[in-house]
Formats: sequence, C-alpha cells, structure tokens
Amino acid sequence: MSDEKTTKQVLEEQLTKRKRKPLYNPESLRSLSGRFEEWRSSTVREEDRQNWEVTPQTIVGSQIPRRLLYTPLDNPELDYDEDIGFSGGEPYTRGLHPNMYRGRVFTMRQLSGAGSPEYINQRIRWLLDSGATGVNLALDLATVQMFDSDEPEAKGQVGTVGVPIDCVEDMDAIFRDIPLDQVSASIVTHYPRNTAIVFPMYLVLAEQRGIPWDRLNGSVQNDFVMENLVRNAAEYIPPADAFRVQCDNIEFLRKNVPRWNYITLNGYNLREAGTSGVTEIAVAMANGIDIVKEMNRRGHDVDWVAERMAFFWAPASDFFEEVARLRAARRLWYRIMKYRFGARNPRSMWERCHVQTSGISLQRVEPMNNIVRAAYQALAAILGGAQSLHVDSYDEAYSTPSEEASLLSLRTQQIIEAETAVTQVVDPLAGSFYVEALTDEIEKRILDEIDEIERRGGIVHAIETGWLHRRIAGQIHREQKMIEDGEIKVVGRNYRRDPNAKEPEIKVHEYSDEVRQEMCAKLQRLRATRDNQAVNTSLDALKGACQKGENVMQYCLEAARVGATEGEMRRVFTDAFGVWRPPMYI
Amino acid sequence: MAEGRKIKVLLAQFSLETHSRGIITVAGMLRDSGMEVVYIGNNTPEQIMEAAVHEDVDVVGISSYCGGELALGADLMAEAEKRGVKDSMVFLLGGIFPPADAPRLKEVGFDGVFSPGATREEIAGFIQNAVGARE
Repeated sequence: MSDEKTTKQVLEEQLTKRKRKPLYNPESLRSLSGRFEEWRSSTVREEDRQNWEVTPQTIVGSQIPRRLLYTPLDNPELDYDEDIGFSGGEPYTRGLHPNMYRGRVFTMRQLSGAGSPEYINQRIRWLLDSGATGVNLALDLATVQMFDSDEPEAKGQVGTVGVPIDCVEDMDAIFRDIPLDQVSASIVTHYPRNTAIVFPMYLVLAEQRGIPWDRLNGSVQNDFVMENLVRNAAEYIPPADAFRVQCDNIEFLRKNVPRWNYITLNGYNLREAGTSGVTEIAVAMANGIDIVKEMNRRGHDVDWVAERMAFFWAPASDFFEEVARLRAARRLWYRIMKYRFGARNPRSMWERCHVQTSGISLQRVEPMNNIVRAAYQALAAILGGAQSLHVDSYDEAYSTPSEEASLLSLRTQQIIEAETAVTQVVDPLAGSFYVEALTDEIEKRILDEIDEIERRGGIVHAIETGWLHRRIAGQIHREQKMIEDGEIKVVGRNYRRDPNAKEPEIKVHEYSDEVRQEMCAKLQRLRATRDNQAVNTSLDALKGACQKGENVMQYCLEAARVGATEGEMRRVFTDAFGVWRPPMYI
Repeated sequence: MAEGRKIKVLLAQFSLETHSRGIITVAGMLRDSGMEVVYIGNNTPEQIMEAAVHEDVDVVGISSYCGGELALGADLMAEAEKRGVKDSMVFLLGGIFPPADAPRLKEVGFDGVFSPGATREEIAGFIQNAVGARE
C-alpha cells in the first residue's frame, strides 16, 4: 500500500484536534458511577451480572454485544455539538433536513413489478394513482445482465423479475403518458455497464419528447461492487474496468443531467447476499471514497462529485441496530467528506439513502408473518431518518410480488406516515443512552472495516483478489449453522414451529413466454427498419472509446439514438475489456 | 458407488441468475455432510452438463431465484439425456419459484425440488437416499 494515510488515520488526527465539550460533567459522572456499581452489585441478580453483555443473534445482524442497561456511563465523553447536533446541520446525526418528515414525507418508492413494458406502464400508473410518490423501475434479469430478449440465454427470463428493455422504444412504452419531468424515477440499473447502456435510452426518450435533461430527476444504481462482488453472471468485465465505467457514468451525468443521482452505492444487495450491517456500509463507503479519489485524479473537486452520491441500505431485523446504523452512516459520511476530502458544500456531506426492507429475513413458512417483519424494519428505517423507502412484500419467498402484496407494502408505509405519528418529531430516539452508544459503536466498526479495505489497496483490489468474496462466503456459512443450531431464532421455521403448518395458498404471477415472443418480434422489426450502417458505426466508436479511455456514456448515447440494442452494446464492452471470472468461494 | 468414495455434487446456476447466497449456503451444508462439492457458477444448460460429465458427478444441483427454471430445466434434462446420464445422475433444483412449478419441475425430470428454509437434513438426506437408489 502507498504512504497515503487511511481514512481512519485522517479522521483520528482531525477529530482529536477538535476541542470537545462533554455534555456530562465529571462530578456527576463520578457520583453516578458509584451509585451504578452499588445498584449493579446489590440489586441486579448474579446471573444477570454474569451475562451483563449479550450478543443478539439475528439474520444478517452485526454481532454487537449489548448491555443489560445503558446509562450516561456508556458514553461519558458525549459532546452534543460534535456527536449529535441539530437536524439539518453538522454532523447530520439527526437527519439531513431541519424539519425532516414534517417538511417532506419519505418517498414511497415501491418496485414496479414484472412484465412487459406495456404492463409495467399500467402498473406504474396504478402505483402513482394509489399514492406512490416515486417510480422504482426493476429490470428483468436479461436486461440487468445486458442480454437482448432474443438471445438464447434470456430464455424463460424475459419479464420475470422486472421489465425488459432492449432499446429506446421499450423505454417509451414503459413511460407512456408519464411526464418525465414530473416524476422522480429510480432506474435500477445495477452495474456500471448496464447504466451506461440503459440510461442513455431514457435520455434519448426525453430528447424525443422535447424535455431538457436538466429537468429530469431520479437515480440510477451504477455500482461496480454489484457487478464484481455481489452478483454473479456468465459475463462480467474486470473490476478495474467496471470501476472506470462507473466513474465515466458519474462524470457524464454530473455534467449533462445535473439533477440526476448518478450513483446509488448499493449496500443493500451485499447485505442480502449475507454480510453484516457493518460490512454493508463499509464496502459501499469504501467504494464512495475511491470514487472521490478517482474524480480528484480526473481533475474534479470533491464538491463537484459528492453532491449527488446516494446510498441504498437494507434495514434488517435487529431494530435498534438499524436505527443506530442509519444515524451512524450519516455522521461517518459527513466526517469523511469534511475531514478527509475537505468538502465545503453541505450537500456533499449528506449521506442520503433509499432503503428497502430485508428480503433475506422473509420466510416461506407462514408468509403472513413477513408483513409484521417488514413493518418493524420499515419503522426502524423511518426512525433512523431514511429519505426513501420500499417495503418488501410478504410473498417474496414465493415469487415476485402480486398486486395485492405490493399494495399491502405501500399501505404499510402509509400507515407509518399517517397513523403512527412517528413522522412528527425529528430523530426521536436521539439522546437515548442506548441508541447513542450503539450509534458510536457502529460508526467505529464501519470505520475499522473501511480501514481494512484501504489497507488492502482499496475497494477494487479487495474485490479483485477475492478477499471480500471469501469473507462473505464465511459469513453465509456461519449464519446457516446458527440457524441450524437454533442460535438465530426464526419464528415458524426453527422457533415455535407449527408442525401442522400447511403450504399457504399464494397467488403468484404465472410466467408466460408471450412477453419474450413480443419482445423478439419487436427486435426483429427494429433490426429491419433501423439504419444498420449507423448502428455499426456507433458500436465501433463505442469500442474505440472503451479502448482509448474516453468517456463511454456519450458513445452509448449515440448508439441508443440510432437504435442499437442493449445486447449489442454489451458485446462491445466484453470485446473491449475481456471477460472476468469472479473468484468462487463456496 | 465404490466403498469410501464421497458423493460428488456439481452446483451451478443458469446463465443470468444473479443470486448466490442460496447456492453458497447449500454448498456448505453438503460439504458438512461429507460430500464433495464442485461449484461452477453461471452457465448454460449445455455447459453445466458438459461439466457434470467431465467431473463425473453423482448429483447436479441448480439454484434458481429469478424464474426460467422450467424452460431452462427442460433444456438441462435434454442435455443430460443426450449424454446418456439422465438416469445415472440425481438432479436437484432449489430456490424461489411459484409453488405450482414444483410438480412441473418433477415432471421435467428433477428428482428433488427445494425451497428456502429447507434444512441440511432434508437436502443431504434426500441426496444420500437418491444416490443410494441409483447404485
């Protein structure tokens, strides 16, 4: 590793220089300490004293020990201004906006479902009519993996878990009668290449409708960690190249689509793959740190790049851990941006996040229980101050959600918003001795894991070498054993199991090959009517850009304009960069 | 199966599958049950069966979370048939699919079909019995 200091070293130096004003005075703490010890030895049972700390065992939990009771003694150095502050101000522990949900309720962004572009169009309009406030476009597997609907690999998978997009025409069908300048659209493009290929189709659609790009608002995912660590597929490019395409996309969108969130650092899917809540945030932030460094190298200031970086987290079942985690993530990102990179614009210090409740915690047995699980997770996210929320549906261990289940998820959000009154007070759990101590502990652990990644040469290297892959596989095996042993309790599955439980009647989406046939017919028409010479020229130019290190997105844009398909562009990337086989640890 | 030889299992996903937690979990369960596991990641049905024959495995296990299990499962069986191993190997599929697809997958030729929450005893026990019955 280079002589450069790690983020942790920089923060330790910078933060210790700051003068702290502890909230509790030493005399009160001393006297409290005496009374606490007396209480603990005289009133607390011997058995509880012995087990003063326990470590909650939960699905994808972070294994952080918890004490029986928290007091100011667990956080004696607490400094109100340095550690907590006011909402809308540094260190942003309490939330990004002064009035939080009173000013603007969290965006209710349910995934749009699966099916043909025309069907998804109806479904989005129905969700918007039912009160959803943003579009969350899930792509089908062929589209995520960048295959055209008529490629043999796509067989059986067109329109199954999202919507297929092969070309601009499909984007047009999805957004028919939806004003692009009035909705916030999250287009779940996963990988950098997928973003470079699919998002230009949205931009071309805006062009065709006469909507200037500076009026578009929404987000893409564009996360190379998804490609090279979290997901697996037959055809991936090497991590260093994927990282570069990720940064190309950021640069292009920052310059040309100023209100678009050009990266969603996706901890969610990493967590779902089996990591702890600490690793989830550490990996995403390590990527964010290396992006800022790369942008600096390309001549861009931290404030130029950091302003529209967003995160995506997975609140799981350990309720207070999840609340504290969101608070810790906000404070840590602020500290990194301010003290490591010298950001000046407050927006660059904002750790904005969309969250989705944990799919991996949902069970197939007694699926209605999942409604309860998701509701607690959603509540934790809101108490933690998330900007935007998707609640998973109870039938997800069976299939992509039915309409009924999707509506229930949206209703869960609306009940939290309108009936529980939790949105009326900002950061309501702040000041809890427990929550503040847990927030500190989680922040510290995230920073330690970021440090580990940096000491291994940064996020690209930690992935290239398989170090993170191995770590995840280890966590998955450990957790599986804990479920087998009953150490992690799952109601209905290994705890209070009902021996007479029957497979419930669940209405699911039946797959039909019709969508694929329609898509294939559309592709055939496209290839017969477009200017194939222009398509080839645009694809050659894209390949040249890949090889010469020019920004790839503008070339994808030109290819999309002349009717190139997603699969055609994917093959160009693969030809230019070669196929990377991920390390497979099992 | 010769005395003392471990049961050998090939694990794979179809080309476009993105999820790997399930297959990593099952790989650990089978290893803990004394089996030899070969994991080849994402492949077409043809590539999977090529590898299965090349590795001379007893069992082929597929993880599927994103649909396509019926169409691609049928292709896999056709590839197995072509290589003359459909009856000598045991075929399993696990993951997320509509309940109605479970009987259909068995019609296509899968010997065992598993859903999330299946235990090590269930999966490993099934394999031991099925491989024993093939002898």
